[in-house]
Amino acid sequence: MAENSGTDPTVDSNVVENAASDGTMIVVTVKTPKDKEEIAISEDSSVAQFKEEISKRFNAKQDQLVLIFAGKILKDGDTLNQHGIKDGLTVHLVIKTAPKTTVGGTSQSSASSSGTPQANSSINPSAVPNASTTPGTGPTPASTQPPNLLSGFGDLSSLSGMGMGSANFMEMQQQMQRQLMSNPEMLSQIMDNPLVQNMMSNPDLMRQMIVTNPQMQQLMERNPEISHMLNNPELMRQTMELARNPAMMQEMMRNQDRALSNLESIPGGYNALRRMYTDIQEPMFSAAREQFGNNPFSPSRTENREPLPNPWGPPGTSPSESRGTGASTTTTSSAGGTAPSASNPLGINASGLGNGVFGSPGMQSLMQQISENPQLMQNMLSAPYMRSMMQSLAQNPELASQGSNPTAATNPSQQQQQLMQQMLQMFAGGGGGSLTLTPEVRFQQQLDQLSAMGFINREANLQALIATGGDINAAIERLLGSQPS
Amino acid sequence: MVVGARLTPICVKNCNAAGFPVCVKVPRNFRLLEELEEGQKGVGDGTVSWGLEDDEDMTLTRWRGMIIGPPRTIYENRMYSLKVECGPRYPEAPPFVRFVTKINLNGVHNSNGVVDTRAVSALAKWQNSYSIRVVLQELRRLMMCKENMKLPQPPEGQIYTN
Repeated sequence: MAENSGTDPTVDSNVVENAASDGTMIVVTVKTPKDKEEIAISEDSSVAQFKEEISKRFNAKQDQLVLIFAGKILKDGDTLNQHGIKDGLTVHLVIKTAPKTTVGGTSQSSASSSGTPQANSSINPSAVPNASTTPGTGPTPASTQPPNLLSGFGDLSSLSGMGMGSANFMEMQQQMQRQLMSNPEMLSQIMDNPLVQNMMSNPDLMRQMIVTNPQMQQLMERNPEISHMLNNPELMRQTMELARNPAMMQEMMRNQDRALSNLESIPGGYNALRRMYTDIQEPMFSAAREQFGNNPFSPSRTENREPLPNPWGPPGTSPSESRGTGASTTTTSSAGGTAPSASNPLGINASGLGNGVFGSPGMQSLMQQISENPQLMQNMLSAPYMRSMMQSLAQNPELASQGSNPTAATNPSQQQQQLMQQMLQMFAGGGGGSLTLTPEVRFQQQLDQLSAMGFINREANLQALIATGGDINAAIERLLGSQPS
Repeated sequence: MVVGARLTPICVKNCNAAGFPVCVKVPRNFRLLEELEEGQKGVGDGTVSWGLEDDEDMTLTRWRGMIIGPPRTIYENRMYSLKVECGPRYPEAPPFVRFVTKINLNGVHNSNGVVDTRAVSALAKWQNSYSIRVVLQELRRLMMCKENMKLPQPPEGQIYTN
């Protein structure tokens, strides 16, 4: 057996299969760990031809098949005769499911090449799915960053590698994480935020997020079962449904707990349970705990019966703030049409969602940074997960109509500002907290100028300024156009 | 494949009072021929395979084995090739087993793939009713042990060179 290279010089693309008239037909049993088939083939045929037959029968691609007979791997270029495969004998078959391992499988030149000690260092040995190459957020310095909640939420930390690099950003993330850890309520509030729910309805996005977290990667390396789980789309969808709906989640947990306790009553069951726990659940929980700060999946968490804080909170600015939730495609279709109120044109509601997540100091500093540095915004926006968020935003017509303000559209810097405003709205949709970025404040200077020119209607001034994004001249045009002078 | 059936001397032990042998030791080559046939017929669950390294080997000494990595372990989807040497005293004496494909497994020497006889119970407590299949299956079982199933493995396709 001189074949070392794995190429099959003797096989061209001949279509002659087991119906070959030369040689007698033999029946060979092909056995996988799961089932077995009997395949009739000419006894003179080559391994490649044999594989062709097998690939049809087993519905697998030829290069996914690895055949073993008598302890040796059958190479495509060999013949059945060479290995002594005769009628009635059994050949073992392994169907490689992961595509990347097929190369490694056929390059295992073990048996026949007893004289070729090649060290084929081919592929990534771990069973981690190929999604370990991150989604388009670029390089992954995330592994060097301290574990971060937001890195579980989509590898925002790698944005720093994209050139944002603002140290404040990372600190802000840390702050957020710390807050989250100290306040378990926050987690349920995050989940309730329609923005987050929107994100979670996209299974690919979620999967990407989970997979790019370096801790999850480690976990997956150690437990191939987890990678199986993540690769199963049905399961992912189910899990996400659960995550989105906390009530359903609790119900599920209760059912599961009941089932588990039933298991316990079977003799020997308790030990099995304990084994299961230590093998699988512990590492998963500890990884999850690091991510989420507080373990949301722990069955021991007591039921939270408190009603969540009233999102349409304190009176006065309720209609305008609901406009800010235009980010969601849920029930806010009417809310999206709310006209800007005098004091709060952009719907950045100061008292918005009360103790919403985005009222945290971290979020506020983020927004400050964003307004100061439009470039930051651009960078954030170009991340793919942001795109999907933006897509769902775009579906909301109200928001889109804002962006189409003609005067603003012609002026690029205005455009940036417009974009910024939209972003701010999005975040503020979760609750503006005690944001001090009301347009009133921002346009203070312009307002003063306008009032000095004689436009005494402050409300109208402000509206015009908002509409034109701070451009005084355009605002004046507006005012003159609308005023029945 | 032609193999001469050379008989090694039969030691008939444990005769009863009438002189009839109670327990016969099967000659080595008969045993090995039997194992060869089993290997070709795929006896077992299809997760291990074995056969002669060289079909012309009259002494039936050098064998090749293959273990398919058990699922849900780090060995999943890989195939491990082994060399098994059945000495002249087989099956009274256990065979020598060594991995050809690089593997990180407790009981296998990292440098050359030799399987430590004391680490594998089938080898340590060898009985003449054991066979190559038993050894291979035991090694596969070891791969599924908690202490082994998550050991980081060298890249696929590497083999020991010594």
